Amino acid sequence: MTKIDASHALEIEHVTKRYGHDVVLDDLTFTVQPGRVTGFLGPNGAGKSTTMKILLDLARADRGHATIGGTRYREMEDPARTVGVVLEPNAFHPGRSGRNHLRVLTDAAGIPTDRIDQMLELVGLAQAADRHVGGYSLGMRQRLGLAAALLGDPPVLVLDEPGNGLDPQGIRWLRDLLRGRAAAGGTVFVSSHLLTEVEHLADDVVVVSRGRLVATGELSTLQQAGTSVRTAEPGRLTRLLRNAGATVHTGTEGDLIVRGIEIAEIGDSACAAGIALHALIPQAGSLEELFLDWTSNNNTPIYGADTGDMATERLAVPL
Amino acid sequence: MTWLRLVRGEIRKLTTTKMPWVFLVVLLIIAAIDAAVVVFGTDMDGSKTFIASGADQQSLMAFGFNAMLGTALFGTIAVAREYGHGTVVPTFLTSPRRPRAILAQQTAVSLAGAALALIGQVLIIAAVALALPSTDYGFMVSAGDLTQLLAASALAGAIGALLGAGLGAVIRNVGGSVTTVVLVLFVIPPLAVQLVTDAVSWIPTTLFSVISGVTAEVSLWAALIAIAAWALVPSAAGVMAVQRRDVV
Repeated sequence: MTKIDASHALEIEHVTKRYGHDVVLDDLTFTVQPGRVTGFLGPNGAGKSTTMKILLDLARADRGHATIGGTRYREMEDPARTVGVVLEPNAFHPGRSGRNHLRVLTDAAGIPTDRIDQMLELVGLAQAADRHVGGYSLGMRQRLGLAAALLGDPPVLVLDEPGNGLDPQGIRWLRDLLRGRAAAGGTVFVSSHLLTEVEHLADDVVVVSRGRLVATGELSTLQQAGTSVRTAEPGRLTRLLRNAGATVHTGTEGDLIVRGIEIAEIGDSACAAGIALHALIPQAGSLEELFLDWTSNNNTPIYGADTGDMATERLAVPL
Repeated sequence: MTWLRLVRGEIRKLTTTKMPWVFLVVLLIIAAIDAAVVVFGTDMDGSKTFIASGADQQSLMAFGFNAMLGTALFGTIAVAREYGHGTVVPTFLTSPRRPRAILAQQTAVSLAGAALALIGQVLIIAAVALALPSTDYGFMVSAGDLTQLLAASALAGAIGALLGAGLGAVIRNVGGSVTTVVLVLFVIPPLAVQLVTDAVSWIPTTLFSVISGVTAEVSLWAALIAIAAWALVPSAAGVMAVQRRDVV
């Protein structure tokens, strides 16, 4: 990578975007740190792609702004060497070969042409480079998109569902590639609906639902941020804790899994309400469980700890 | 320097698909038709007076308006398909300052349009020159007139492609932009002439007839300025439309 330093953080600040009367992004604020892989999660239509398009100046925010290393994308002098992007797997002319697609980009960005063969080799497309893209499988188009993103050896990667269509070997290769870029100090921001893959890949997560931030922070911290509660009055306790802003669901062993408030607050609330607790145990959760909790109706943002600036404005809520 | 790189990238786009070859085949067919007209065509009285003088032959070979129409279709397809295929996304990622990217695209499309039109004019001149020996007439167009024909066609190609590129950027749909090009160049001018008779001097067919040296309804400079306006208005509309819109 050409330039890697701490200045390549991605900042989304109070971004609001409307299409007609629909609010697609609602005052969205978060930071993506360099040197880490950040997973960007949310249900379909949550606003992930729109957020990325605003970050890349392909769409305009109605309010707020997004920057990469403190600079708006449109103000970058050499964006192809700063940010590698995969947005849509079909953004290719079907009658153009994979190699020529990359030639167009190297011509326009002034990147040495020897990078084309290097990247085709890296993504495993060297044998198919001179075939028309129209004959490529989805996985091959994803690989071509990744080759295009890496042409300028950029310190920042913004990838929208890059694992779509990749076979298991491809997923593994992609994971190693992205982890390697982050380990070298790069900023990797990747949206995915493959939660198990994100669980393996991401250091941090940003979760949006209906255009709003619902959770952000270090994944391992967030995964620990649950409490298993046993009580003889689960229904009453559930109502009480939900009123206090927690998400509550029943665990596999009949216990209540509570997220969104601190373990001490659970005990205090139960005590104040005269509800006897039989167990109060910190509980780790799978990303899938967490995701379903985060994207339910609870819109109170959850901030994980130890992610630098990510948690500085609204301090972490240790759960 | 950056802008020249963008132009080079846009030229690479145009030369790495089959579209220019399709247009070249069309040009060959047009040249063959012109040759067939010279060999087999006659006037009402059975004579061949339509090729009896240098001016007649120049008029037969004048390719300006056809070049403008053809390259307008070329330009509008080249630009509108970028939105259809989504290839405009890497373009704007490489050059987020969109006016610069669009101007590079319009420049490349105009250069390609000029080249195609020039090739078409050369093919037509060659076809007519090869066909004339089969008649009683020789090739009578002077070198100066040939130069004017070639220059007019190259200009027509650039102007047409620019007009098409502008409309393609505004409409962003191949079918819609092709239809609009046909309306703008084929349907609206005759309608305008029906409404305002004097408009006949300012429609592309007349203007290229003047620029090719075939007629003289208006001065050459007036014709050049007017034909430039036919391209610059849609070109500017394309730049403004792209500047404002989200790429979705």
